[in-house]
Amino acid sequence: MNAALENVSVVDLTRRFWSSLAAALLGDFGASVVKVEGADDEAGCLLDESGGGEDAAWNYRYDLANRNKLSLSLDFNSGEGRAVLRRLVEKSDVLISDRDPAELEGLGLDRDWMKAANPSLIYTRATGFGPEGPDSGLPAIDELAAARAGMMPILGQPGQPPVYPGHGQMYATVMLAFATVTALFHRDKSGEGQEVNASLLGGNMYGASLDLQAFLAIGGERFLHPVSRLDAGNPMSGVLYPASDGLWITLTMPDTDRWWPALAEIVGLDAGDPRFDSHDKRCGEGRLELLQLLDEAFRKHPSSYWREVFAERQMSADVIEDYNYPANDDSARDNRYLLDLVDPSLGPLSMLGFPIFMTGTPARLSRTAPRKGQHSAQVLRDIAGYGETEIAAMEQAGVLR
Amino acid sequence: MAGALEGIRVVDLTMWFQGPVAGQHLADLGAEVIHFESPKGGDLGRGVRSIKALPVGDWNQYFLVINRNKKSMAVDLNKPEGREIMHRLVAESDVFLTNLSTKALAKWGCSYEELAAVNPRLIYAMGSGYGPYGRITKPSFDLTVQALIGVMTRQGEPGQPPIYLGMGSGDAMGGMMAALGIMLALYAREKSGRGQFLDASLYGAQLFMAAPTFQAFLATGDQSWARQRSRLSPLNPLWNTYQASDGWMFLCEANDDDSWQRLAATLGAGGIGTDPRFDSTDKRRNGAAVLVAELDKIMVGRSVEQWMEIWREAGIRSAPVGNLAGLAEDPQAWANDYFVKIHCDEVNREVTVRGLPVGFEKTPGEVKTLGPELGQDTELILADTLGYSWDAIGELKECGAIL
Repeated sequence: MNAALENVSVVDLTRRFWSSLAAALLGDFGASVVKVEGADDEAGCLLDESGGGEDAAWNYRYDLANRNKLSLSLDFNSGEGRAVLRRLVEKSDVLISDRDPAELEGLGLDRDWMKAANPSLIYTRATGFGPEGPDSGLPAIDELAAARAGMMPILGQPGQPPVYPGHGQMYATVMLAFATVTALFHRDKSGEGQEVNASLLGGNMYGASLDLQAFLAIGGERFLHPVSRLDAGNPMSGVLYPASDGLWITLTMPDTDRWWPALAEIVGLDAGDPRFDSHDKRCGEGRLELLQLLDEAFRKHPSSYWREVFAERQMSADVIEDYNYPANDDSARDNRYLLDLVDPSLGPLSMLGFPIFMTGTPARLSRTAPRKGQHSAQVLRDIAGYGETEIAAMEQAGVLR
Repeated sequence: MAGALEGIRVVDLTMWFQGPVAGQHLADLGAEVIHFESPKGGDLGRGVRSIKALPVGDWNQYFLVINRNKKSMAVDLNKPEGREIMHRLVAESDVFLTNLSTKALAKWGCSYEELAAVNPRLIYAMGSGYGPYGRITKPSFDLTVQALIGVMTRQGEPGQPPIYLGMGSGDAMGGMMAALGIMLALYAREKSGRGQFLDASLYGAQLFMAAPTFQAFLATGDQSWARQRSRLSPLNPLWNTYQASDGWMFLCEANDDDSWQRLAATLGAGGIGTDPRFDSTDKRRNGAAVLVAELDKIMVGRSVEQWMEIWREAGIRSAPVGNLAGLAEDPQAWANDYFVKIHCDEVNREVTVRGLPVGFEKTPGEVKTLGPELGQDTELILADTLGYSWDAIGELKECGAIL
């Protein structure tokens, strides 16, 4: 079976987790991704100063974000090193980068040169806050983008500090891959390359689509301050209730008419109770009372009881689990959302797998993250088209590391 | 300018958000996306009447924005005539997109096997709940899947309830993933000539969404990655939220001596920069709780605006924690088309909608129209695209197969 992006070559100049992971996604689906590292850059490092997750034997963030890539290490300070980079970009289909234009220029990759040297190139640009506007130069840090995207104050319960959820960057990751493949599709029809982009601000905003659009159309304080869980808009949808064992359960039954009889029965209410006998009553005058009654009812049994009841009646409701649940879920492995690997020195490892299942062109793990410079000679020969003598000379001169 | 997906036709048999928003991404880029709906009320998303106990608005923003740039056909798939329309449309289309249950799809003649037989070049894109090998059979929604993957349980302060990442947050990721899967399949089809089945489930998408911390948990087995971590004891006290006199801020600095000295120099006369309790990376890390308590006392002494001015000057990376009202006015978001304005027929005025987060230099996306009225394009598509005669269309109407 062929891969979807077979024969697509990508030059990867990203250094952050979310943008590097976008390039890895292209690699998952078969692109040949060359991670180009500066000879002076520290090996195995992502730009990240948040101070989380060090001291593990496995460099897992780096390894996840750089799987399915080749590594070329170049001396960016030498004219020859920069010439190699330019030649590689000339011969490739995609350049993906999270560096600002001035830094790219310093590497010899100004936009005008790219357009002239390789008019069919897709230049995929990852930014923090979008390529336009007064703050286009701010660092691409997800916390700063999330702070600006408006959701942090309203995620928690009233009186609590703002919440940084950490997932906003991941929308931007997928958008970068989506933009790249869409531009490749267009290029193959038209011959035309172009710049495409996605940002952390755009990703965080997109993730908040429904709240954001509702605020734009409705407005008001309920979108600016946290709403207590016992003041939710629909007692049967998007609400959290505690079970007797300290775990929480949640329901999503937006079309309450369909689900009310079954729900009423399992919590011991009369479906015909005139306080709650229409959608408008359940979400209107009877709302707060119903929230209280459900809160009391769910406390009467442990979460395992509720899970069984929900499964029996095929209700869209479940127990709120922690990471042990997916980590031990066989179906997550069957779906290849999780991969089990054996590392020669570290032993068995679990790695995040592939979020998209494809029958014709499935994702695959061709190689784990490369050591710095592991494929320098191979990339120069196979992709940039240098001869063996030239490559040996560059190795000698320290252009390749 | 023509969109990148001009000439691509998508049959969009979807509901609510996860499925429809995948179609929206393609429609924004010029694909002809046909929202295929039941004549009895259509997509249930049309019926959203309230959000957060507030009326949905004077225009039906929930449905109209998610389904912008689309056409609508209202066809009854319970009738054989309706199923025939579907098959004839699929034969003329590139993509079939759905997030409905396999049971409903089978009943309506829309299983992968049936549609692939009609059109071997078809990309059949499913947005399921639990993936092709999932064991859970009950109906899935964003929140009921988000509940399982564990990401909610680690949000917020210890002792507080789990936190939902936002209305439709997982659907939004599933929709983006499905759009990526469709583009991969379309790109592959250009070379192979063959269509395929793909599934971008809520479960897979949401595990990906949790990647930064879920991978940490998988790699280390450290249970603290699965649990809430208080802002009072962060891994790096220089990378944390702090409360000023009038609001919250995010401070994002490395825990090294240089950053600490630059920050400390802005914190006033107390001399915290020379405090021996905090004079190394390890001390600041191991004594994070004490340092945060000290910083909390200092930060409330000034307003957010004052801190931002001081820190801008000192090159300290930070941002005010803003709300949606601030975002709606943010020139940065507007400059990048993350908001756009469009005329809304329902209220006959211009409205603001979430915009175009994926930027294209030569083939930019566009919001040309808000979502369609139920069945507004049925007859034209039957006549122009599928070649039904006007008499035949009249009969279809008569028997209730179309609206």
